[in-house]
Amino acid sequence: MSFSLAQLLLFIVAYLSGLFAVAYLADRGIIPERISKHPATYVLSLGVFAGAMATNGVMDLAYRYGYNFLLYYGGVVFMFVFAALLLLPLLRLCRVYQLASLADVLTFRFRSPWVGAAITVAMCLTLLPLLALQIQAVADSIQIMAGDADNLFSRESQQNGLALLFCIIITVFSILFGTRHLSAQERNTGLVTAIAFESLVKLAAMFILLFAAVYGVFGSFGEVERWLADNPQVSNAMEHSLRDNTARTLLVVFFAGAVCMPHIFHMVFAENTDSRDLRTATWGLPLYLLLLSLPILPVTWAGIKLGHALPIDYSGLALGLTARSTAISAAAFVAGLSAASAAIIVTTLALANMCLNHLILPTRLLQIDRELNIYTQLKWLRRTLIGILILAGYTFFITLSGSQSLTQLGLVAFSGTLQFLPGIIATLYWPAANRKGLIAGLVIGLTVWFFLMLLPLAGNYPAPMWSLLPENMLAAGANRWADGMLFSLVLNAGLFVLVSLLTTASAEEKVAAEICSMDDLSRPIRRVLSLQSAEEFSRQLSSALGEKTARAEVNRALAELQFSPGESRPYALRRLRARLEANLSGLLGPAVAYSIMERCIPFQPGMQDSTEDFHLIERKLDRAQTRFTGLTADLDNLRRHYRETLNNLPIGVCSIGDDGEILLWNRSMEQITGIVARDILGSRLDSLPQPWRQIMGSFLQGDSDTQLKTEVAGNGDQSTWISLHKADADTGSGDKPAGTVILVEDITSFELLEKELLHNERLASIGRLAAGVAHEIGNPVTGIACLAQNLEFETDPDEVRYTALDILKQTDRISRIVESLVNFSHAGSNAGELTLAPSNLADCVDETIHLLALDREARPVHFDNRCDRELVVLADTQRLLQVFVNLLGNARDACDDFGQVDILARCKGEEVVIDIEDSGCGIPPELQAQVFEPFFTTKDPGAGTGLGLALVFSIMEDMGGSVSLTSPLHNGPNPGTRITLHLPRASYGDAFEA
Amino acid sequence: MYINRALLLAVGVFLVFSPAMGEWIFNQGIVWHRPYQLWLLIVVAAYWNQRTRYPDEL
Repeated sequence: MSFSLAQLLLFIVAYLSGLFAVAYLADRGIIPERISKHPATYVLSLGVFAGAMATNGVMDLAYRYGYNFLLYYGGVVFMFVFAALLLLPLLRLCRVYQLASLADVLTFRFRSPWVGAAITVAMCLTLLPLLALQIQAVADSIQIMAGDADNLFSRESQQNGLALLFCIIITVFSILFGTRHLSAQERNTGLVTAIAFESLVKLAAMFILLFAAVYGVFGSFGEVERWLADNPQVSNAMEHSLRDNTARTLLVVFFAGAVCMPHIFHMVFAENTDSRDLRTATWGLPLYLLLLSLPILPVTWAGIKLGHALPIDYSGLALGLTARSTAISAAAFVAGLSAASAAIIVTTLALANMCLNHLILPTRLLQIDRELNIYTQLKWLRRTLIGILILAGYTFFITLSGSQSLTQLGLVAFSGTLQFLPGIIATLYWPAANRKGLIAGLVIGLTVWFFLMLLPLAGNYPAPMWSLLPENMLAAGANRWADGMLFSLVLNAGLFVLVSLLTTASAEEKVAAEICSMDDLSRPIRRVLSLQSAEEFSRQLSSALGEKTARAEVNRALAELQFSPGESRPYALRRLRARLEANLSGLLGPAVAYSIMERCIPFQPGMQDSTEDFHLIERKLDRAQTRFTGLTADLDNLRRHYRETLNNLPIGVCSIGDDGEILLWNRSMEQITGIVARDILGSRLDSLPQPWRQIMGSFLQGDSDTQLKTEVAGNGDQSTWISLHKADADTGSGDKPAGTVILVEDITSFELLEKELLHNERLASIGRLAAGVAHEIGNPVTGIACLAQNLEFETDPDEVRYTALDILKQTDRISRIVESLVNFSHAGSNAGELTLAPSNLADCVDETIHLLALDREARPVHFDNRCDRELVVLADTQRLLQVFVNLLGNARDACDDFGQVDILARCKGEEVVIDIEDSGCGIPPELQAQVFEPFFTTKDPGAGTGLGLALVFSIMEDMGGSVSLTSPLHNGPNPGTRITLHLPRASYGDAFEA
Repeated sequence: MYINRALLLAVGVFLVFSPAMGEWIFNQGIVWHRPYQLWLLIVVAAYWNQRTRYPDEL
């Protein structure tokens, strides 16, 4: 039974077209998302690992090394079961920084385009055997199916032609699959679904072979065991024991392959949209590989039993050909075809992206025309690269002339990619590693690999190299391979460590190392951007990307971050910059993206020592919460507790960085200012709306750390009062403070209460004066009444006139008393307004003395107004009157009967100093600090409200003056007290000029 | 640097017991599917380990 070449080629085209249809339907959403985005689809797509090596090559491994073939799967299983070691941290890095390949990761970590270029070249070289393996598996299968198995090893031009035809077909489909999306970072749903479908096809085909082998060749599973018992040479071969060292080396090789192979890297990281899918893969992929490997041993044994002439790799095809079954032959062919095509498509796609991002774009081998659509140009470049890579694989294949088995090709490819493992581990676990060490290690490792692994493929053993090696490395078989791999890896890692320790890393590398290391709690630095808005980003980027692309990329990043186009907050702009770099990294590779961002959107120089970006640290900690355990979790809980405490404080707290950026804005601040934290966090202080910009700005600039009372004008008539305190925020890491913490207390209710109480105090004073007023008014009224009675009988016109004059005099007296009282009571009625104007000091004191004289019950002390009658102060007369009423009233109360109160005034510079000295009992020193506090009184209960001196203090402060006290003035039973007032000097001329 | 302690323990146990496991697999006569039993056990353990559903922590 054989097939014609045309039939087989048509079958291949039909199969790949079917595959493309699956991808197309998934992309269009005709295959519903619950299937295409199901975790199982992602897990199955990781089956791309199982290329032709898994469907064919491992049979040879099983045949030669028995159960050790399981090491091929074991490495991957180990990698996924222990995903937390490498895969999950790498996924985090790739997702956050939009890294799609190993070269992207290492370039990002070691901050050098040379690293990316070196990795890409090395990767292309090491992957050639893998591509050749896939091509050889399919070409051999076609030849066997076409009934030309006898010429399998002759590598006649016909087979090379078959391989070329297959390469052309697979190139077309690779281009169709791989370049449907613009960016390498966009999830290619179609590709993922198609590869998952291929994995299912592969598994189904392998199970058909399993049943064909067990029931078609042996009869039953029991018969398989009986056959094994009858053939001890086979069962003994199964127990073929590799040296422990060799087995472990092979395990490490396949372990490394699971993360270093570009096609696996692409499917695991670039096509992942949810880390939970990778968690599912930690058991899902091992289960899939378990099922896929189950048929290997029975099919291999069936091949041995049949005794066919084909290489053991093609035992599946041998089953079909011997049984003359089209279904079994087709299953074996499809298994190999699906495995090889998936591996080629994804490998070349991943390599093409790497070449584009790390060879073509950074070195400017090809110039991108900024005037044309960059996306289209990139797509065509990627297509061309895919073609070149498949062609290179084909060239390698025909160069080898089929002299090597699939296993050998696979081992060479895997051992080549093993050389990248030290770089990957150092990226995550060793911040001290640097690019010089990486390159040195890679060069030595790959050189050894080239001479010990790659050259021997072509039967070329350079004698000088081999003579340097220990004896056992020359021994044939797996041990030689393993020793060679181990030797190259040890040299690679050793030199990497040595050079890294002996040389220093650049500052950029250190920053990237902190980001990449798992110790992600390192401090992200809050650097300052030169640009002030997203619009400026577009303008600056247009010089590198063209106007249209620059705007599209900025808008895309803004939309992803959910920022508005008018965004100008420094914190938001920093995030926008990072997102733009990540997106451009997906489009052009990290090296080009980094260089564009450094050129177009640089940070301000000299700001390297800026404070940490606490906002970003908080976000990261919040995201990482589920990963904390033990002490770390305790610390995180403490952090949350303190943050909540700070947020819920009834006092407004805001923290401002040394560059004026607002870092903290708690809930009380939101309530006091009416500004929501999310709108202002990360902004500069000068972006605050008025009046807060002015208030906070001037307080921050001012020398005083405290501002006891500041009026904040509201929108309407409503004003609020706040008190402000500030302190340096010292993180202890530098000489200068990292910023300032400002406490804002809303004292509006206190202020209103104080005013109300002061009003009450005034009313109380008026009450106390009422009796005196009544008496004072009563006397003239009695006088007027008497005069009026006399007037009734008076006929002499002169007497009438005198009497009328007397009445007028008495009414004047009444008017004056009433006027004083009204003046005093008005002092509080317009409390909110302060009218500073020149006031005659002596008149004001006279008025006060007159008012106090109305209180008949008070002690009859003597007031001596010794103020210069010409002295004029700048004050609100009504308020000043209130001040004197309180001070002179207190002085009188402190004196005993016949005490003396002197009021003196003198000029001192631009100030007038007023002393009120009494001969009272004095104020003990321990009470002097409290006397200006509200509700503090030394009088008997009911005799005073304790608000008098607080009122004086408040009024003097409002008028720009001050008040202080001195006591005692002299020794003796009446030590006395001196209250000193300071007020600005003025003259009536000033007011006139003003 | 954050590495789950359970993970470290598992790696340690694997390294310590790998020779014993190898012996159990290969030296107990021809029960060709014995390695797969161990493999299945690892799959179950891996499933057990990740069954707690975390949010997408990235």
